[in-house]
Amino acid sequence: AVLVLVHSPLPRLRALLQRCWGRLERGLWPGVFGGQSPPWGAALAVQGPALVPEGISGAEAPGLPGSVVWMAAPKHRRTIEVNRCRRRHPSKLIEIKRNIDVCPECGNLKQKHVLCGYCYAKVKEETRLIRMEIHKKEGGPFNAPTVETVVLYEGEKPTEKDEGKRIIERARKRPSWFVQN
Amino acid sequence: HASLPSGAAWARGLLSWARPERWLASGSLFPLSCIHSSTSLQKIGKWEKKNRIVYPPQLPGEPRRPAEIYHCRREIKYSKDKMWYLAKLIKGMSIDQALAQLEFSDKKGAKVIKEVLLEAQEMAVRKHNVEFKSNLHIAESQTGRGRYVKRLRCHGKGMFGMMKISRCHYFVKLVEGPPPPPEPPRTGFDQAKEYVQQLRNRTLVHTL
Repeated sequence: AVLVLVHSPLPRLRALLQRCWGRLERGLWPGVFGGQSPPWGAALAVQGPALVPEGISGAEAPGLPGSVVWMAAPKHRRTIEVNRCRRRHPSKLIEIKRNIDVCPECGNLKQKHVLCGYCYAKVKEETRLIRMEIHKKEGGPFNAPTVETVVLYEGEKPTEKDEGKRIIERARKRPSWFVQN
Repeated sequence: HASLPSGAAWARGLLSWARPERWLASGSLFPLSCIHSSTSLQKIGKWEKKNRIVYPPQLPGEPRRPAEIYHCRREIKYSKDKMWYLAKLIKGMSIDQALAQLEFSDKKGAKVIKEVLLEAQEMAVRKHNVEFKSNLHIAESQTGRGRYVKRLRCHGKGMFGMMKISRCHYFVKLVEGPPPPPEPPRTGFDQAKEYVQQLRNRTLVHTL
């Protein structure tokens, strides 16, 4: 097997590779290839000046099994002009969104296919307060009754339709968006 | 901007040969001393100082000079290259359109730039005598490199790399008025016309 030693710029990586290779040579690592001979011939080609041992011209010696592993590495430094062409290409710029509208309820901006953020937050807050009232009424987990729930605001009486339902009282005026029935 | 009128007249008389505008040093009686001797702040950046220039009053026949508002935010924890894409997006837009685009952008810098624009709009209405807060457009929007800090990033097997924690600045200049119409893209016909014009401009030099 042909060995092509390459000096890597990271001294720690080089020391590690040297230690591993030393152990392999001395046979202190018997379980690496499962009993067979090592399949690869050349070491990892890392950036840096290559130290080719004498007697071997180039990297493709005729006796190689053909399982040489070469890693791709940049040959030249990319200039700032080339970098700018790549970074500022129109495909990389952010496109302007044309699906922004005004919410008819609150007047904030919203995307066409998404709920208005402000209205959603408003409803979420009210739901949270209703849930707190429910929690106070139930007192603990697993106490949910098997009947429907009706939320009544200030000055509202339960109608005939809400006969057997559980009533949750909220101490505020009914919000305009929460339609009764 | 409370400067004495007598001081202003004296300064204009002294500096009229130099430049039409002069720096308005905050609260000092000697406008010649442009060096702001501050002990509390580190250093006032150039962009912040641009808000302090005062033009002489316009003559009756001149067209109205549109108001310019400079605002910036320093040391934002974001990369300047990533922030540049947002700055490029809103260049040349009206402020309402820019705020709409930034609100629905998923980038981290979009939230920061939105705050900066709202602050600048507020400043424009309060201090810079802008009548309608929607009548502003973004003339310039730039990013700059903030202070980088190098830190250790641990990999496996005891290896480490040095990473840099990058910060950036963001600068914006709002100008009163509707946004300028976008330039039409240069066609081949325009390029050909310019080439023919260049050929026609050739003349003989250093001759009789």
